[in-house]
This record gives sequence, C-alpha cells and structure tokens, in this order.
Amino acid sequence: MHKVTYIEAITEALREEMERDDKLFMMGEDIGLYGGVFKATKGLQKQFGEMRVLDTPLSESLIAGASIGATLVGLKAVPEIQFADFITPAMDQIIQQAAKLRYRSGGSYRVPVVFRVCCGGGIGGGLYHSQSNEAWFVDQPGLKVVAPATPYDAKGLLKAAIRDNNPIIYFEHKKLYRSLKQDIPDDDYIVPIGKADRKLEGETLSIITYGLPVNYALEAAKELAKENIKVEVIDLRTLLPIDKDMILESVKKTGRALIVHEANKTGGVGGEIAAIIAEEAFDYLDAPVTRVAGPDVPAIPFSPPMEEFFMVSPKKIADAARKLAAY
Amino acid sequence: MLTIDTILDKEKLKDLYYHLVLTRTFDEETRKLFKQARFAGTYFSAVGQEATTVVPSFLLEKDDVVAPSHRELGANIGKGVPPKVIMAQIYARKTSPDKGKSHPCHYGYAPLNVITPASTVAGQIVLGTGAALGFRLLNKKNVVISFFGDGATSRGCFHEALNFAGVHKLPIVFLCQNNLWAESVPLKLQTALTDLSDRAKAYGFPGITIDGNDVMEVLKTSKEALDKARNGGGPTFIECKTYRWYGHSEIDPADYRPPEEVEYWKSRDPIPRFEQLLIEHKIITEEEKKAAYSKAKQDVDEAVAYAENSPFPQAEEALEDLYYEGE
Repeated sequence: MHKVTYIEAITEALREEMERDDKLFMMGEDIGLYGGVFKATKGLQKQFGEMRVLDTPLSESLIAGASIGATLVGLKAVPEIQFADFITPAMDQIIQQAAKLRYRSGGSYRVPVVFRVCCGGGIGGGLYHSQSNEAWFVDQPGLKVVAPATPYDAKGLLKAAIRDNNPIIYFEHKKLYRSLKQDIPDDDYIVPIGKADRKLEGETLSIITYGLPVNYALEAAKELAKENIKVEVIDLRTLLPIDKDMILESVKKTGRALIVHEANKTGGVGGEIAAIIAEEAFDYLDAPVTRVAGPDVPAIPFSPPMEEFFMVSPKKIADAARKLAAY
Repeated sequence: MLTIDTILDKEKLKDLYYHLVLTRTFDEETRKLFKQARFAGTYFSAVGQEATTVVPSFLLEKDDVVAPSHRELGANIGKGVPPKVIMAQIYARKTSPDKGKSHPCHYGYAPLNVITPASTVAGQIVLGTGAALGFRLLNKKNVVISFFGDGATSRGCFHEALNFAGVHKLPIVFLCQNNLWAESVPLKLQTALTDLSDRAKAYGFPGITIDGNDVMEVLKTSKEALDKARNGGGPTFIECKTYRWYGHSEIDPADYRPPEEVEYWKSRDPIPRFEQLLIEHKIITEEEKKAAYSKAKQDVDEAVAYAENSPFPQAEEALEDLYYEGE
C-alpha cells in the first residue's frame, strides 16, 4: 500500500497503462512538458515522448475528433479536456461521432477513447472553470460516464476505462485533486465500470451520490450518527450505465432516498435516479425522494459568498437528511 | 511529356474506367429505385461528380482510410466496396454494413477502412485527421483521404483539422468537391474566396484547384498528393471544381439553380471526356465501352436483387451494437 492524492492516483493510472500498452497515447492542451494545468500528466511526456503525450493547438473539436479517428486505425486514446467548461466545441465529435460510431457501423468499429475531463467548483474558478456538466453526456447511450470520488476509485476506474474499448467520459473533480489522500494497493487493480459502491452501511436513509459530494455525505453521516440517524452512502462511481440494482436494493432497505449532486437540479442525473426509484421501488418508500443539488443558475458564480451558496456541503446534506429522517 | 498511361498502366486505366461507369450506373439506377419508392428515406445522388470521388479512392491501398461524407458513393466504389453491400445499405437491410441503423447514404465499410459518416457536415474531416495521426504514431506508411463538399469548409472543425494536419505534416489528402452549392446556398454566400484552395496557405501546406470533371487531372493531382503524403511530405488540399447534376437529395428539385448553369456542367460530364481520351489512345474500343455499361447494369441489377432479397433487421435489433462487449 502507498498513500496518494486523487491526482497522483490519476497520474499513476496513466503511467502504468501507457507502460502496459504501447498503442495508448494522450493528447490535449498543455499536457506535455508543462504536465497539464493541474499536473495530471506530469513527467509523462519525458517518459513516453512528444507524440504519445501530445500537446495540441487550442482545438477541443480536434482533440476529441482526432482521438476518435486514431482509434479507428488501432490506437487507444486518452485525451484531456482541460476544463469541463470548454468541452462544448468537442461535443459534436463526442456526441455525433464517438457515441454513435459503433451503432451506426453495425458494430464494426469500436472507439476506445477515454475523455479525461476536469470538472467541478469550490476552488474559486468562476462561471467557466467550475461546471459540472455530466448530465450532458449521461443522456447519450453509446457513451459511458464515470465520476470517481476517491483516489482508490480514481485509479481503478481510469484503468478500467482505458481497458474498456468504448468511448468514456471520465469526470475528475478538481477540488478533490489535492484535498484527499488515501492508501491504495501497490499492485495493479481495476474498479469495474457500472458498479456502485456502498461507501457506508446504514438503515435510516440512503444518500445516493457521486464525485466530490460522496466525501461530504460521509462527513455529514458522522454528525448524523450522533443523532442516531444511520445513513447509507451509495457512491454511484459510474453514471452511465447506472447501477440500478444497488440504488434499488439500498432504497428498499432504508425506505428513504436523498440524492446529492453538485450540478444544477433541473435535468440533472438526480432526476433520473428519482425516476428509477419511483418506477421500481415506490412501494418501499416512507418519504418523498429528495434532492440536494446546485441551484438552477447557468454555472457557479465567482464571488466567494455566492460560490459557497451554490456548492453542496456536508451541512446542506445533513440538514436535508434530518428532514427526511423525520418525515 | 506526361502520357495517359504513365500514371496508371492500361489495365488499371480500364479498371478505373469501369469503376466510373459502375458508379454512374449505380447512381442513376438508384435514383429510379427511389422514384419507385423501393426504399425509404431519401437519396443523395452524386451524378456528375464521379471523377472526384472514384479516382482518388481507386488509388488507395486496402489499409488506407477513406473518411467520406454522404455524397461519396464513388469513393466507396473506388475503394472496392462491393455494389451489393452499398445497395443493402440503401435498402436498410440486415446485410448492410450498419445492419440497417443509419441512413441510405451513410456509406461505410470497416473491412476496407471506409469510416461510416455522420450527417454533421465536416465531422469526418477531423476523424480522418485522427486516422492520419494514428498512422504516424504506428509508423505505418498508410494515407487517408477525407472527402467533403464546399459547405464543409465553413465549419470550425474543418479549420481545426487542417491546422493540426499542417502542424504535424500528417499523411492525409483533403479532397474538397466544390460543386458550387451547399444544399441551396451558393458559394458566394459561403465564402468571399473564389478558390477554396487558398485556405490551405493558412495551414502551411499546398492547396491546388483543379477541374474536377477532368479524370486525368484528378488522377494526376491525387496521385502526386497521395505519394507525397505516403512518403512523409504532409497533407495537400485539393479543390475539385465539379457539379452535382441533381438536387441536394432526391426530394430537392434544385430550382434555385439557373438552368444554363446545369446545362454548362452537364456538357462537361467527366465520363464521356475520359472515354474519348481512352478511345483516342486505343486503351478501349467502342465495343469495350458498350460492354462496360452492360456489365455495370448487370452488376447493379444483381446488387438490387441482393438487397431486395435480404431481410430487414428485426425491430429489437435496434437495441444492438451500442457498446463493444469484448476485452
């Protein structure tokens, strides 16, 4: 075992997979000599060369599309989108090409691309360096969407994604990069895509979440335990395909569901989870399905009080959990 | 002085001629089939543009990649895709490369490295550029041709792709079929340029404008560009001035075009011009010419019979080919 931050876990996964498979390459803005704006690719260009760790022009459409094209002649690609906010020019390639290419070729092409996307707020990034836009991709079958919450999962899920041979959007939360350390195995391991993780067992209510708020939910759970509210924390880890079985199993046990995500509430992943519960576990519910999510504004505003107002927090989660437990 | 058979030997020229005749025959027959409502959707004829699609594709090797758009029947036939496979695609049958999932004119065929296109114009140019990057990374001496129309050159991803291909001197030929109309929008409303090839200067590689209805000129120019790309000389932008005889698709009467313009271009039909040349140089005889048309008709009839006798996919097969399931 060795202790790593979330971002170190990502770098380890990239290095080990690059060493393991010489068909793997990465491309993106500032990922080469500079090592990426958050240093996720630090040292990799020196180790693997300028073409396998390729600095691109400021061209997200190109980064996405060329990654896809390269896989069609036998490569595997792990492009970096520096900020989730800047993925919009690449959407055409991701949605119209990557997600549909296997389908529209009757299964004759495959697209092994992992789009590493840096998302999330809480670090003073403002409107255009804080967005949590995972829902844009979760409604696109053909893609898989992954959002790790811990260093262990970050490494294991990235390795699984790289070995998966389907187009995957891998959301890294930038507030987690250096705020969290965890012991992880020295040996190679993967965390399977599509499987949620019960991060905490409980009976009173289920908190269903992913990414940064998983950690906030665990913090809230400690406070709530003192009040005899025993929270179960389900970390989805993969948003598409979503682990319905674990969601339903947990909610059927506790009878109460609190869904938490940082992205704004309307049209978010939480609405889908609520619908799954309503369709398949209605008879088990003792209280309305409840959501804690970002307010419906275009993105996280800059000024600190407004940013704090926007962000999900352990306190917001605990408050909602108390109400739900008392219902 | 360059003589007709210094680029391709006589047998190859005859074969190329047959592929041109086959493309014309296939296209005109398919228009009739559409009018008889023998298949659904619509059809994008490329009659008049055969030289610009068949010829460059005909020069490729099996592992070379074609990244076509929707009007590239000829690029598929030139690459060697069997007519019956293409007709099954048009008929949306289970035996088509996409098993009925995409549009009649989304021609793609993985066994011959033809990338199935999407309808989002210019997206395939980025994929093609990625395939060329892939060949570079794999140290393979293969090349890519990306086919597109004049309308595609107005989109951002076109510029991102060409810029990147220029930076890395990638083995790709950008083949623009400038048929003067992007659906109903004339060239003068697309661009202030007269020759689209001027754009290449901005990306640091040669741009050439040629008569796209002159088979020999297309042959010579694309051969040089492909040889250069294969030998590490980087990309070339070839603008072929050409014309589609009919509407954007078969549901478009194309009455936005002046009739004299259509007549002018019909008088410049690439196929009789090439035939005349071949007869003058005693490469084919009048009898061989007639035989080519009758063989093409027979091949197309067989393709139609194959398609019409092929089953439709089962409705539930709509749920297949979403993800690659293997290792």
